[in-house]
Amino acid sequence: MSTATTGGVAYRMRRLRIYLRDLWSRREFAWYLAAGNIKARNASTTLGLFWWVLNPLLLGLVYFLVFGLLFGGSRPDDYVAYLLSGMFVFHFTHQSMTGGANSILQNTKLLANLKFPRMVLLIAAVIESAIGFAASLVVFYAIAIPTNGIYPSAATLWLAVVVPIHVLLNLGLAALVARVSVPFRDITNFLPYATRLWLYLSPVIWPLSLLESSDTLAAVARYNPMFQVIAVYRTALMGNPFDPSALVSSAAWAIGVFLLGSALFVTYENRLVRYL
Amino acid sequence: MAEEVTVRFRPFVERKPTLRKAIARGGLRERAEITALDNVSFTVGKGEAFGVIGPNGAGKSTLMRVLAGTLRPDEGKAITYGRTSTLLQLGVGFNAELSGRRNVYLGGLAAGLRKREVDEVFDDVVEYAELWDAIDRPVKTYSSGMFARLAFSVGMHLNPDILLLDEILSVGDESFRHKSEQAMQDLLDRSGTIVFVSHNLDKLAEFCDRAMWLDRGRIQEEGPSHTVVADYRSSIAHPGRSE
Repeated sequence: MSTATTGGVAYRMRRLRIYLRDLWSRREFAWYLAAGNIKARNASTTLGLFWWVLNPLLLGLVYFLVFGLLFGGSRPDDYVAYLLSGMFVFHFTHQSMTGGANSILQNTKLLANLKFPRMVLLIAAVIESAIGFAASLVVFYAIAIPTNGIYPSAATLWLAVVVPIHVLLNLGLAALVARVSVPFRDITNFLPYATRLWLYLSPVIWPLSLLESSDTLAAVARYNPMFQVIAVYRTALMGNPFDPSALVSSAAWAIGVFLLGSALFVTYENRLVRYL
Repeated sequence: MAEEVTVRFRPFVERKPTLRKAIARGGLRERAEITALDNVSFTVGKGEAFGVIGPNGAGKSTLMRVLAGTLRPDEGKAITYGRTSTLLQLGVGFNAELSGRRNVYLGGLAAGLRKREVDEVFDDVVEYAELWDAIDRPVKTYSSGMFARLAFSVGMHLNPDILLLDEILSVGDESFRHKSEQAMQDLLDRSGTIVFVSHNLDKLAEFCDRAMWLDRGRIQEEGPSHTVVADYRSSIAHPGRSE
């Protein structure tokens, strides 16, 4: 037993330092897990990693056919790029959340036998999704250049800022989902509907001009972290005008969600094995 | 050296709460408790092999998880000194779709080695597992013996101070079994510690210096392995007589 009291701030800080040190010493493990999962997926399906790109792409095509016709005249000229950028960004978050929960739920053997910071598994899941996301950005330009004439530009450098913010947000969300879905498996059944709803609430399919019809709608929509993150991505990918407030609120959301999610997950992870 | 002080916990296994049950109950905690290990204390020293026996559900695997540090006891604590390697289940951290080579790295990194350290022992692991060219084939194409040999070989090459084994002495064919016993003896000779669970009582009595007999989470007896094994056997042959 330590001399400091269990609830003391000094004690908690020391525990946190030890946790972070352990986590850092396992960085190669996180990388190998992520790379291994991608390799395994490439080995077991013919299209492998390409499915990561293909899923949001096919879904985007469906929405393009349905909503593209529906919105008709109000559709922006660069709708293909608009839709795809949103789809890929959203898919990264979606994959991180489901991948994070599954990395805990499906690794019972690993968790029961070996002691290591459990965040390693979540980080590996997010790395895996990030690799898929990187591939999808290439596909984005492969489609956006011929259809909408959108080329990478100096603004694309904003990716270096927004991707880390997005990764932090996704890691926080993965931790939150893992935290609740381990004791309540029901959550994993519920999750697809929740993320689908979130997708519809985010400016992925519908054009931003939709918000002009109602001030309340415009005000409420901005409280969605995805709204802000996607706005920064569209600056980077499509050269939309830069909005500093979108960047600031993205970062604030990401830090907040990450701190909350990882705190809830880390304080819980010692009890994980009991529920698996 | 491994020294275990009072591994004890009461409200041990809680049933997996589902949302429906939690709502029906109006709370998150299941009240029915199972005591998987009840006030268990023992010490194992350097260079010692310690056996754990008992019927199914006695708490043997739970005890091993506590020693491995993956399960925090509700009361008491387990203290281990040095690097612990667990062979409680074979192929932990392995991904069957991937090659043996990649799985050696995955298994080693999962157990806490650095990539550099896995690089160093890699050739020995393959040599020891007698896999040679098969190392670049996906693990799912391996026979169960090949899989077990690779997993065991990875576990042995972690260079542990403490080795926790759960019923895997029967790995591989006769010659590999001989080799694995030799490897365990080597570990003991360089003052390592082995704690292992087995239902193979003869082998356990022969290999271990001391043993512990667990039943329903409590220590029935602890002492020289031959005595403990003999008493355990007679309790099975004549149920009720010892209690």
